[in-house]
Amino acid sequence: MSVKQSLVNVRVAVDIGGTFTDLHLHDERSGKTWVWKTPSTPDDPSRGLINGLIGITKLAGIPLSDIDTILHGSTIATNAVLERKLPKCALITTDGFRDVLEIGRHMRRDVYTLKAERRPLLVPREYRFTVDERIKSDGTVLRELKPETITALGQQLLALGIETVAVVFLHGHLNPSHEKQTAAILSETAPAITVSTSFETSPEVREFERTSTTVLNALLKPVISKYLERVEERLKDAGVKAQLYLVQSNGGLASPKDAATLPVRLLLSGPAGGATAMASLARKHAINNLIGLDVGGTSSDISLVSDGNVDEAQESSIDGLPIRMPMIEIRTIGAGGGSIASVETGALRVGPQSAGAEPGPVCYGRGGTNITVTDANAVIGFINDEAFRTGDITLDVHAARQTLNEKLCQPLQLTETRAANGVLDIANSHMAGAIRLSLFEKGADPADFSLAPFGGAAGLHGCAVAEELGIQKIIFPAHASTLSALGILMADIRHDLSISKLLPAVPSSLPELQTVLSELTDQATAIQRDNGLTEKNSAINFSCDMRYRGQAFELTTPWPEADSVTSVDDACLQSVIRNFHRIHEERFTFTAINDPIEIVSIRARITGKLESKGDTTESDDQRSPTASIDPAATTKKLASAGVELTLNVISRKDFLNSEKDQAGPFLIQEEYTVLLIADGWFARPLAGGDIECIYRGAAT
Amino acid sequence: MNGKNASLESLAPIDPVRLEVIRNALLAGAEEMNLSIWRTARSTVVRETLDYSTALFDGNGNAVAQSTRIPVHLNSMSTCLEDILTNHIPLSQWNDGDIVMTNDPYCGAQHLPDFVLFKPVFENVDLQSQTETPKNANSAAGKDKSNSQSENRRCVAIAAAIVHHIDVSGGAAGSYFAGATEVFHEGLRIPPIKLFERGEENSAVTAIIRQNSREPVKISGDLQAQIAALTVGAIAVERLVTRYDSDTLMLAMQHILKQSEDAMRDTISDIPDGVYTFKDFVDDDGQDAKDMVIIANVTIKDDHCSVDLSESAEQTPGPVNCTLNMARSGVYCALLSVAEGRAMANSGAYRPIEVICKEGTIVNCTEPAPVANRMATGHRIVTTVLGALASAIPDKIPAAYYGVSYVAALSSPDRVEKDERRVYFEIEVGGWGAYPGGDGADGFSAGFHNLANSPVEMCESIFPVIFTEYGFIPDSGGDGKFRGGLGLAREWQLDEEWGVLSGNFDRFRHPPYGLHGGEPGSKGRFIHTRGDTVTELPSKISGLKLQRGDRVRLETSGGGGWGLAAERDQTLSEKDKRGGYRVMSKRKK
Repeated sequence: MSVKQSLVNVRVAVDIGGTFTDLHLHDERSGKTWVWKTPSTPDDPSRGLINGLIGITKLAGIPLSDIDTILHGSTIATNAVLERKLPKCALITTDGFRDVLEIGRHMRRDVYTLKAERRPLLVPREYRFTVDERIKSDGTVLRELKPETITALGQQLLALGIETVAVVFLHGHLNPSHEKQTAAILSETAPAITVSTSFETSPEVREFERTSTTVLNALLKPVISKYLERVEERLKDAGVKAQLYLVQSNGGLASPKDAATLPVRLLLSGPAGGATAMASLARKHAINNLIGLDVGGTSSDISLVSDGNVDEAQESSIDGLPIRMPMIEIRTIGAGGGSIASVETGALRVGPQSAGAEPGPVCYGRGGTNITVTDANAVIGFINDEAFRTGDITLDVHAARQTLNEKLCQPLQLTETRAANGVLDIANSHMAGAIRLSLFEKGADPADFSLAPFGGAAGLHGCAVAEELGIQKIIFPAHASTLSALGILMADIRHDLSISKLLPAVPSSLPELQTVLSELTDQATAIQRDNGLTEKNSAINFSCDMRYRGQAFELTTPWPEADSVTSVDDACLQSVIRNFHRIHEERFTFTAINDPIEIVSIRARITGKLESKGDTTESDDQRSPTASIDPAATTKKLASAGVELTLNVISRKDFLNSEKDQAGPFLIQEEYTVLLIADGWFARPLAGGDIECIYRGAAT
Repeated sequence: MNGKNASLESLAPIDPVRLEVIRNALLAGAEEMNLSIWRTARSTVVRETLDYSTALFDGNGNAVAQSTRIPVHLNSMSTCLEDILTNHIPLSQWNDGDIVMTNDPYCGAQHLPDFVLFKPVFENVDLQSQTETPKNANSAAGKDKSNSQSENRRCVAIAAAIVHHIDVSGGAAGSYFAGATEVFHEGLRIPPIKLFERGEENSAVTAIIRQNSREPVKISGDLQAQIAALTVGAIAVERLVTRYDSDTLMLAMQHILKQSEDAMRDTISDIPDGVYTFKDFVDDDGQDAKDMVIIANVTIKDDHCSVDLSESAEQTPGPVNCTLNMARSGVYCALLSVAEGRAMANSGAYRPIEVICKEGTIVNCTEPAPVANRMATGHRIVTTVLGALASAIPDKIPAAYYGVSYVAALSSPDRVEKDERRVYFEIEVGGWGAYPGGDGADGFSAGFHNLANSPVEMCESIFPVIFTEYGFIPDSGGDGKFRGGLGLAREWQLDEEWGVLSGNFDRFRHPPYGLHGGEPGSKGRFIHTRGDTVTELPSKISGLKLQRGDRVRLETSGGGGWGLAAERDQTLSEKDKRGGYRVMSKRKK
């Protein structure tokens, strides 16, 4: 079954989060974009989705049936893993290697401790089975698979009530014949059980990482299939005839069929929308390098745009379990609005413990007893009730002040203002440190970047974090609280393929490289066909993961293209090698020109545009009517830096209409958040509702 | 130790917020160094096993901020630097752009494969002296740049990195020669020297290092990664100097040390006063010495802890000896574990701890005793100190973990260039001791080291080995109310004409102890199979010649049990049975 692409007229992006379901609707006919927010329905997220679609089409004044494309981002896969709402899963692997999944890489994160940290385990030992077969590291078969053992195993799995199974054989990524055979036999003897093979899920060397990824895929298959069935049914019932796409961890879109086959690709898609929005923000304002800082309640997500592209990683993890596949690189740190400040042996610490959403900060009055970053912001006076109109929360600043005094001021002999500001300084230094580390991995300098803070709690920290990093320019994006949905609206269809093949980067490897590239091209063309993509609206790009012989980590190096034609010849190879040396120098401060280089994997990326005219980034923006800002408070008394300070407060709408530069310090009040334009910074409105902020030095 | 911290009580106050911000930045700097090595090293021992550590020191040689890596490294670097500064190259002879290195265990290093590198960060005080009266402005010494320290510059901090290098020659691959009886058998020995002088590499040294390694390309690649990490650390420090000025940074470092000292004093205060004694044994030294005792007499008095290891066995002819530096590191590691993260690991935390070791013993060996397999004794120091504390804080201390670094090294010809040597080096781990409240972790890095395994697929693609098993050994954890963690089996066969194997193991005769009625964990084993001939080998092997198809199997020890097995919760027993963690109705001992 292939996806039919019609000319897209009405596209809706949906981002289902824990609390809210955010939507953006773009109508190509009128060129307009609408924004909508509705409470999420965690028991069945598809209900919230339908509510949102009804809401936003009403706002746009069009019938539901006009929607022809729905782009769906969610944390459904992530939550299923974190909350362990997962089916009964078995693992079939090579004899002698039953415990690879449980041993992991056996290194601990808590260095000094008397009891080991908890190690997550998703398939218990009794459901891990081994079979007699063996493939060698050159891909040849050492011991043949015996089909009858798989037939018997299939019966056993059925008897145990197993719903889904992962098949991972040693070196299975180099020679998938045994994994293929096993999957075929199982689908015959136990058709009720879904099968995930490692060569299809994550065809890359290192058995633990490949096993972990394949097992996660197996666990998610039934979860995502059931969810998608429910969504499609609800859409049908509601009279929506749109083509559905899902957002993957690489920021691209996948058809429901592809998502159900490789659901592990959805696993870290939560922050992907925000990162995609960063790329389009960068494009819109002609910024090459941009840091996205999404500060939430319990943690902060950092993403990077370098030279106009969102940075990607080949491996990440969830709850300590590695996932090996290309995805948007997000660094998550345990510093957010809920991070707890405490005094330990006379020292002031902030985080990594968090008060989370429950009980939350002291000032929420829901039983929180620890001072958090949000409490510090409340005590200073940065946030007040207006910022919280969405919940039933009335800020109890008095309680926050009292707790602050008792827990921090007295033991440290600090004034209230100093303590509250100190908590913020430390939280800011955590965020700045994490950003620097993210950049360091790439050999990049923060001074070459601009900062884009978004998410509920980022607006107050942006200026301080930027100063700490020596960053001169901040962009506060419009739609900060629904930015992820906006990013999704701009996503492309995207598929990643790879073939693991260890080859020396020398001309004599060219024939083998040619073979691998041809194979990838065939696979890629098939995917284009399945997704209704053509040469015109899609592209295939190749790259190699390379390293100096013996190194542990590979650098993904693009394969050169001339007029979008990929050829395999010595000139290309030399160009790839040059690129590799250059990237290595950038990231690691040295090159080893005379050392042999190896190619470890060859990758293909297929990107396809959804048929669409024009650019949705610049649009006549219609705001949702969910909240309006009370313009009554125009100044605010602050307890900042030891002196009483009165700051001007202006609503975002008024600021945008003012169309002129304004020097900090002042506050910009929005629907769900507040921006602090600090001393030394100059803010001005940009087209499309974004705000630019430039550092010109603090007045002394 | 105490001399250089004499001014502690008179520390000028510092803003607690600034202090915390600087502390975070120093830790981040150590992590940047860590990341730098991780990503760029070449050999499997560094790149997959992660056998290296990084840290930032103050200008006096106190470790201030350490990366989250390997305790044995981290807690010996400050004593190593102290040794270099006191006995070899005083700070007055260090210059901007220098890198000082050593691998000599008798100059503060650990054993020959571990290269310890230091890079100072100097600050020109000239800039500041405009506001201060320059002292000794006309001093003759000030003109002699190569010998100047105090007048126009000062050392703000020192970046340090220790890396286990794959091979530095000696009698066996990986420089783990179990048959060594002198340090001279163990490989290339480098006294404290300048690897870089004022930014210029001393290429003669690197040439000597390359020439003395079975893996010249890898050792120079790893060394390059190590040097790059030092630059990264120095830049992190310079950033802080620019941001806060050096006075603030240096004061903050003293406060960070003080915080750790206070936290360690609090930890010790929580332990009841008294003298606690425990003993454990190292199997043998691979020569004639057997059952070497390690005795810890731990005295807790208020907030001070004194550990006397002097009654331990005499130093041995074989290479299981620890230098004093190693022994101290073991004691610090034990106490830091008891603090469970309360005390940030640095030189401040060591201040309330006194370590006494008689010279000439296995815990304070003298030149030229061999030391390659020092970890057999080192881990035992950790478990002996913890064992002593078990009678002081019984509700906290776990039974013994596996307690040795199971190190095996295979030398074989390169697949293509048969004259070149490939060194396959692996370090394995075993089960954790059960703790009051839960079972010990199965097959997980514990205690004195912290290492990742090498992926089987990675090993097979580089070295001529085919693995037949890597997994838990059922029943290997000591029985108890809470059982010990399981040991690991790692088995492979040789896929090449020949190979020479060395093994440095322990716990083959003396299993990890149980506590409060818990059984000891299983013992380690090493088995060689050729055709139908199965040979069980001792724990120290050198020069074992292998043929194609030969199979070797390492079984690491499980952890000790805690409490009486009769009191074990039924659901825990059932879980073990269901998963096959336990297969025998009664454990073999």
